[in-house]
Amino acid sequence: MTLNFLIAPDFAPERFAGWHMLNTALQRRSGIHLHLMTPSGASEQAAVLAADQADVIYANPFDAADMVRARGFIPFARPAERFDEMVIATGAESGLGRVEDLRPGHRIAMTDNKDVKLIGLRLLEPADLTESLLEWVAVDSYQAAARMAIKGEVQAAFFLADAFASLSRMTRSQLQVLVESRIRDISHVVLAHPRIAGELPRIKAALLGIGATAGDAEILDALGLPAGFESMEQEDAEFMIDLMDTLLD
Amino acid sequence: MAIPDMTRPGPDAVEARLNYSDGTSRTVFTTDVEVPFPEGRLIVSRTDLAGVITHANDAFVEMSGWQRDELIGAPHHILRHPDMPAVAFKGLWDDVAAGKKWHGYVKNLRKDGSYYWVYATAVPNIRNGQIVGYTSVRRKPSRTRINELIPVYRQWLEQEKSPS
Repeated sequence: MTLNFLIAPDFAPERFAGWHMLNTALQRRSGIHLHLMTPSGASEQAAVLAADQADVIYANPFDAADMVRARGFIPFARPAERFDEMVIATGAESGLGRVEDLRPGHRIAMTDNKDVKLIGLRLLEPADLTESLLEWVAVDSYQAAARMAIKGEVQAAFFLADAFASLSRMTRSQLQVLVESRIRDISHVVLAHPRIAGELPRIKAALLGIGATAGDAEILDALGLPAGFESMEQEDAEFMIDLMDTLLD
Repeated sequence: MAIPDMTRPGPDAVEARLNYSDGTSRTVFTTDVEVPFPEGRLIVSRTDLAGVITHANDAFVEMSGWQRDELIGAPHHILRHPDMPAVAFKGLWDDVAAGKKWHGYVKNLRKDGSYYWVYATAVPNIRNGQIVGYTSVRRKPSRTRINELIPVYRQWLEQEKSPS
């Protein structure tokens, strides 16, 4: 039996090897064959989910909300000490110093990342800015967003905080952070399809055990999740989903 | 649970008597010191069905001025500021008890009599089809909206105080 392990497409490209290392370790320790699926974007992920092909999912929190509440997926783990935060930054030469300096009609560069956009929109509220008052510039990568902000082609850019932190020192020195979220309650979630409830204890034990064996640090470093994974109960996920519900409008 | 009366924090503090919906009342003192909303953060709390606080995140604790163990088990109206008219909360409990989301701009009272403005959202916690409690999340509000609402809230408050 082979289970499909889907990874949300919002991880940095340099983490690709880390997910393969994790998948290999999970297979060895659980005795379950796992096929790693790394869709290249949100639409490809949506197609996999629509076809009901994913058995285990490392999901971004906003996708997880729908999977848990509407489709009965079982939340069982999350990255330890790793929250989903976002950064709004401008070019260092823009003359803008805080979110309230942004104005209607300003251009914002953004990748296709729903949670970054949603949290970012909430952080723009103190500036009396709503989605329709701004001009959105879709970009393929955080590097592209940074370049546009640095060149002054946009007044600001939205970043996943981890992605912002992984920009080169040179790039970051040419950007100025207007605001960084510090919510510390929203994270990615590892979910299991209810049809694999029988295999779940072995997969969960294997995942939570990553970090306890010599050599595991290499896997976790490659993933950018040095603290590994921690158990997540249904109510933990429900709490996070309720919180995110308040951010939808 | 009755919350103890405040002690006067300074000579300029304004005294008020608050009467809560659970039948208890409390003397509070307010000052004109506003504490800014912490950048990038959310203030999060949960209550049970009776409005008793069961969870408070770090930002909630820090902004309230109370200790966490003073907040857990206390009624959520521990944050009620006397400048808030009752009508501003109209619909809050009706909406969440009916399974709906509620939004509002709220001036909250800190333990020391100072205050902070928030944009608050409350949602019911629905588990297996039953409402088991409520989550409230506050985010940094628009100053423009607050300035528009201050005279409105003042007017509503005067209407509530005047004998009709």
